[in-house]
Amino acid sequence: MTTTQSLLTDSVHVNGVDIAYVDKGEGDPVVLLHGFPDSHYLWRNQIDPLVEAGYRVVVPDQRGFGESSKPQDIEAYDMRTLVNDIVGLTQQLGIGRAHLVGHDWGAAIAWMYAFLMPRRVDHLAVFSVGHPGVFATPSIEQRKASWYMLFYQFPGVSEELLRRNGWRLFKEIIGADGDHRRYLRELAKPGALTAALNWYRANRSPEAELRTERNFPPVLAPTLGVWSTGDQALLEEGMTGSQKFVKGPWRYERVEDAGHWIPLDRPELTTDLLRGFLGSQSSAAAPSRRRRL
Amino acid sequence: MTVRTCDVAIVGGGIAGTAAAAYLTANGLSVVLLERQEVFSDLVRGEWLAPWGVAEAQRLGVDDAIAVGGGWEIREWTQWDEVVAPGDAVTVDMTSFVPGAGGPRGIPHHLVCDAIAEQAEESGAEIVMGARDCEVDAGEEPIVRYRKDDEAVEVRARIVLGATGTNCRVGRQVGLPMNTSVDHWGAGLRVEGLTDWPMDVQAMGTEGERNFMVFPQGDGMARLYLNYPTSHRHQYRGDGAAERFLADFELEALPGHGRSVYAAARPIGPLKEWPAITYRPQHGIVTDGVVLIGDEAGTSDTVLGVGLSCALRDVRIVSDVLLSEREWTPEAFLPYREERAFRMERLVFGASVIAKLQCEFGPEATARRRRVRALMDENPAAQVLGLLNMVPPEEVPEFGFSEFFVERLFRETV
Repeated sequence: MTTTQSLLTDSVHVNGVDIAYVDKGEGDPVVLLHGFPDSHYLWRNQIDPLVEAGYRVVVPDQRGFGESSKPQDIEAYDMRTLVNDIVGLTQQLGIGRAHLVGHDWGAAIAWMYAFLMPRRVDHLAVFSVGHPGVFATPSIEQRKASWYMLFYQFPGVSEELLRRNGWRLFKEIIGADGDHRRYLRELAKPGALTAALNWYRANRSPEAELRTERNFPPVLAPTLGVWSTGDQALLEEGMTGSQKFVKGPWRYERVEDAGHWIPLDRPELTTDLLRGFLGSQSSAAAPSRRRRL
Repeated sequence: MTVRTCDVAIVGGGIAGTAAAAYLTANGLSVVLLERQEVFSDLVRGEWLAPWGVAEAQRLGVDDAIAVGGGWEIREWTQWDEVVAPGDAVTVDMTSFVPGAGGPRGIPHHLVCDAIAEQAEESGAEIVMGARDCEVDAGEEPIVRYRKDDEAVEVRARIVLGATGTNCRVGRQVGLPMNTSVDHWGAGLRVEGLTDWPMDVQAMGTEGERNFMVFPQGDGMARLYLNYPTSHRHQYRGDGAAERFLADFELEALPGHGRSVYAAARPIGPLKEWPAITYRPQHGIVTDGVVLIGDEAGTSDTVLGVGLSCALRDVRIVSDVLLSEREWTPEAFLPYREERAFRMERLVFGASVIAKLQCEFGPEATARRRRVRALMDENPAAQVLGLLNMVPPEEVPEFGFSEFFVERLFRETV
């Protein structure tokens, strides 16, 4: 039978949940964050090459996914809580400053981590999902492309509709992209679907969409934004529009021949982009802590 | 020799065997399941699960596993056939026959077995892959012997479920043989690349000397079957068999002459031929310490497509006996024997009518199909036996199962 696909090396209790993770290699730490509905396994093609390139690679299953805890209440998936999971994990592992790499929701976490804790971030690489400031005021086109995010909002109802008729609607939304077969295998486990959808419910609620753009602290770290032309759900403007939130050096890469799951669709290119970018530049100066009187 | 004990030993890890293992372990029994293959692979089995079979899967709690393994809801059946122009073929919405079940599922058999077996294993079943030379001794304390990696193992169980499909291996060993009859031959191939075939739509119809079936599995994949007269058996053997098989989907009955199938399909599994055999038990499906389930307990003609649904129904009824009765004597399984006898009587009857309609070939058969189709268009009640692969057999109206009805249907007497 199919063995569970896992590269996990350990698990730690932080921030009230168990977080399972991969910790491999020695050198400057790189944290790889997956999105919906993935697990650490999204980064399977990048882990070993980055280890060989001299990095310590840390890859968690974020809460609600894979082997980590799956709280069932929506409040447990607030962005700050999710970011604190990663803070707690890196602290437990004795990592002060790390390169942060995120895809999809993992990119959203990485963005927030980077502007809230600039001193803990060396380089930032974000795939598919742009800065939350751009997404706070989505265009009509972006709303159309991400209709499913609104659909995911209704507890119980969206679970029922996604599951019915042999998970037909879920299969239609995901299509043949990413690890589509593995996603269903994971989400069919007890409690997994609700936990995964709670990421959207806690952070993309209709009220949140109506809130006006907040003031975000600038991202100081050198930042690489990557977007793929085959992304069905997210528009290029989300990534290119992120530049104005980045004070550090900004680089944008547009990837052809890839759907939403860039690390899976273009594994070597993803690795090459990371190897070429991480550690290549220095941050913008941190703002002075002294307040002007 | 290793000896192990359990409540239930299951011989055969197909849909019946894995579903029984999953359901029984979830309900607290200890189960050892023996499967001959080292890993599940495409053996070209039935890959169509009727809506009533979906409902059975839901009751057994294996419907998610079926979806995970690749089960795909098919929603419509467009009845393309040589007796109707492609644009005039009637489309049947199959999603509303059984409330809550949706349409039938196209399933990659081996991947679904793998997914259900995994679920069973997580519930505590012991799944033995690569179990060879299984021998079952019936009796009040039944024994199954097998070899694995050259080690001889003996399983002492309270009961043995024989689920070896049309191998009928357990039945032969414990004195429960089958009568067989062959109506026609068939072949099957799993393909991908059907980007222009609507994944919501299945086809089943007849043209010339072949009955064709296209059952989508999502993502441009589908299971293709052809049925044909016994005189053409072995036509898809040897060099170029898959090419010949696919080329035979060039059909006037299909839109665009079937180009979206024959020109696009790429094989993703083996091509196999088989005689379409109906197995009927000679004197029973239960003996001391052994119960047969699934195809091993008897079949109807494969053209009806209810083998998987029957297997899941068997699992539910037998399991409910195991979970409610303290003594697992042959008498305890009387409800199963009676229900199955009734069910098979209806299914075999209905399948023989469908086979006569769709799997007899030549000008006379075509003319008869044209007449019957016209009668069905005129009076939908004439389609009653077509209900057999949508709703459970007991819910199909009684009048369909009379010789009188069939005679009128075929207008063989005036």
